[in-house]
Amino acid sequence: MLLVLPLKDFRQTMESCNHCGQCKWVLGPKMRGYDYAEICPIHQRFGFDAYSGQGLLNIAEELLDGKLEYENGLIELIYSCTTCGACDINCKSIRDMEVLETILALRARVVADGWGPMPAHQQAARSVEAHHNIYGREHERRFDWLALDIEPSTNCTVAYFTGCAAAYRYPQIAQNTTKILNAGGMEFTVLHAEEYCCGGPLWRTGQVEEARKVAEHNLAALEKQGIDTVITSCAECFGAFRDFYPRLGPVNFRVMHITEVVQQLIAQQRLKLRNQGNMKVTYHDPCLLGRLSEPYVPWNGEIKAFGRHEPPKQWRRGAQGVYDAPREVLKAIPGLEVVEMVRNEENSYCCGAGGGVAEAFPDFSQWTANERCREAESTAATAMVSCCPFCQSAFEKALGAANSGMKYFDITQLVADALG
Amino acid sequence: MSLPRQVYAELERIVGPEYISDREYILAGLRHPMPSTPVKPQSPVAVLLPATAEEIQQIVKVCNQHGLKFIATVSSLIGFAYPNAPNTVILHLKRMNRIVEINKTDRYAVIEPGVRHGQLKTELMKAGLSYPVAAVGPGGSVLVNFACSSGDNHNQHGASRTNRYILGVEWVLPTGELIRLGSLANEAGWFCADGPGPSLRGLIKGYAGPFGGFGVITRIAIGLDEWRGPAVMPTEGRSPDYKIRLPNDRHKVFIFKFPTLDQLRDAMTEIGKAEIGQAVLKYFNATAALLATQSANDFWELWESGLFQRELSMPLYVYLATNSPEEMAYEEAVLRDIVAETGGTEVDPDIRAIYENNMDFFILVGFLQRVLRLGGAWAPAKLSADSVRHMFEVGKAIPEFLNEFTAKGLILDAPENFQIISMEYGHLAHIELLFLWERNVPGWGEIPMQVMARSHETEIRHGHHATMPPRSMPLLAALGPLYSNCHIWSEKIREAFEAGR
Repeated sequence: MLLVLPLKDFRQTMESCNHCGQCKWVLGPKMRGYDYAEICPIHQRFGFDAYSGQGLLNIAEELLDGKLEYENGLIELIYSCTTCGACDINCKSIRDMEVLETILALRARVVADGWGPMPAHQQAARSVEAHHNIYGREHERRFDWLALDIEPSTNCTVAYFTGCAAAYRYPQIAQNTTKILNAGGMEFTVLHAEEYCCGGPLWRTGQVEEARKVAEHNLAALEKQGIDTVITSCAECFGAFRDFYPRLGPVNFRVMHITEVVQQLIAQQRLKLRNQGNMKVTYHDPCLLGRLSEPYVPWNGEIKAFGRHEPPKQWRRGAQGVYDAPREVLKAIPGLEVVEMVRNEENSYCCGAGGGVAEAFPDFSQWTANERCREAESTAATAMVSCCPFCQSAFEKALGAANSGMKYFDITQLVADALG
Repeated sequence: MSLPRQVYAELERIVGPEYISDREYILAGLRHPMPSTPVKPQSPVAVLLPATAEEIQQIVKVCNQHGLKFIATVSSLIGFAYPNAPNTVILHLKRMNRIVEINKTDRYAVIEPGVRHGQLKTELMKAGLSYPVAAVGPGGSVLVNFACSSGDNHNQHGASRTNRYILGVEWVLPTGELIRLGSLANEAGWFCADGPGPSLRGLIKGYAGPFGGFGVITRIAIGLDEWRGPAVMPTEGRSPDYKIRLPNDRHKVFIFKFPTLDQLRDAMTEIGKAEIGQAVLKYFNATAALLATQSANDFWELWESGLFQRELSMPLYVYLATNSPEEMAYEEAVLRDIVAETGGTEVDPDIRAIYENNMDFFILVGFLQRVLRLGGAWAPAKLSADSVRHMFEVGKAIPEFLNEFTAKGLILDAPENFQIISMEYGHLAHIELLFLWERNVPGWGEIPMQVMARSHETEIRHGHHATMPPRSMPLLAALGPLYSNCHIWSEKIREAFEAGR
């Protein structure tokens, strides 16, 4: 199966864009004033229309038609997009277009033509090839985070998929996740040496075949262990399992984010959360847990006259992302008050770390995180909460650089603390 | 065609290196053909992002010195934003995006071009203020809608067209000179368009505006109305299925249907005489179906059911927005009396519920671009204003030229897809006919030209005032006699602005 459809398959999307600008702005019903009205980080930062969903469609069409030649600046522009999908979801609220799929196809085309990805992305692919993680760390140490008092089951159909970021950079997320599962009496296993990078970072940078290899490995490992439920604590992994893996074929297991699991455990009264102090928090929706987490649904049809799709297409418009679970979990922790940012849920503003931007353009990545932190601070919350280690990295850098008084917490930390 | 290095350097000195580009991949975002036309715009030679009126003055002078044309744009939603000649520079005014002032006492807002409807409208709601948002979507430029392009809106029965709201204006002429109009010209503030000081409001905007043809408007003040709704949009749900309900005791939507256009016209006229209602309009039916559905397939399912053709071929939409429940009771009673006397009845309650559940239709019209969902090929064939009676006569004549195209299957079979909006309590009305066609058939680019030509012929035959403001001199000359020989005036203005250039 094709992991990314060829660019030519998105001709209708490219041709029918009428430059309405919805890919650059928060949807009207969600606007709340002058500030925090922009939704596309690259457009907000660089200003030119080429830096936007609309502009990338225009570029894709000119490349497809041989009217635009490759040059380094063009490649940098294409890879400055965080692939956060805000353009795509906003466009789909009014049009039948596939903006993000076109951007991903454009990246795959750039790689196929030998012009991409950026050197930092190539390095990540080499690291995954050699060590099965994006950081180039020793594969044998992937499960160093397993604390002595955490005992994964050896005979269980529920697997906790750690992911590279939690395994190597933020082990406390993995430790807190397993602590929560233990406290809720939920048996789980891990893949140990058979867990490789989820492949999401490679897929989103157009390195499709490299991504395929690790995804196929993980799928085989999960099947071999008879796994029927995969739990992740990382939005990137969650998004990969939901959006990327089904492109390889039918996925025979359920994917849950830890916030969904905690929500269930709370509803079943299997977790008792206690007040650890009062705090006002604001929740950041990670792109890959929110608007981009709807399961991929293949469509191989034809667009007939007046836009009619035959057979009918099931559109993914971001409404079915994981939005309620993290909010319900936070509200269930005594002492926490949750306040919303303007750009929330499907209109969330990217942290700046997605799509390989943190690795290739760290300055722009931090600019984007700064903008999001500015919005978080405007809520008068004292802490920002999310559930993605890549978002955590971006926000901690931004808050640290700004000497902000605002703290950042992964949601697993707050839940684990509330367990007492 | 590329920009000489020396000229590029001059422009770069004005805006700074980060805000100018002539790279092909940057220009690619500014030369894509609109899906409604096969004509590909010429590529601009550069794009600049100026930050101030002073920068624009300098840029204009450099352009004049080197024989470059320039187009100022913000959202670039319409074809006039794109070059039709070589050696054109695009001035993208996005960085000029400040709300300079919101004056609650004198009820005006001063804005720069980059301020969008979604930003200003929601900011004003917090202050209990409002203005009529033209139906271009939340990302459209407020300044452009008020000062440079059309400006009709759903609420212009109780409000008016945007051209009526312009107050002080700051304007960079095609020579690079900066002038101020209205009270602003005498440093008396932004509050008045017509003096002391020169007005020229009719020149910069007139009815439809010159679409940026007369230099660059860099700041305007617009008059504000009272907002009778909540300070924050009461949005529920997630995209694309939002619900926005306003308090029912002060905000109500009604949709009636009439057996004939004459009865519908009489109802609209009487509602105007009674001076009730915020929005009163006969709305498009195919467009309504597009706005009510979430995909092209959904639209076809609804359209082929025939519901909107049956119920909304001659509908009257009425939005009442009042200051008190008592006022609402009065207006509703008057409205029901008028509708009963003119032979109207309520449409299918499911249709009314669509609008009751999403009053954004009367606030930001956030889903307007859904009309492009059938592939993007659409155009208006009528776009003008006159008396309510005259506009209905125009509406009745539409089948005379449109049926030929629907019979051949060249356009969507929706002859009632036109709107007539009452303006200023029925003292005027606006008409717009939207037609949609399939762009994947041979010769599709000719379809809109042919429809518009037949439309113009019909207008000349009947003496109707209903055309889009013509953009070509031959067409203007043909239609000018219908509009007090406006083509002669138009030519004189053009000569004045292009003298020596």
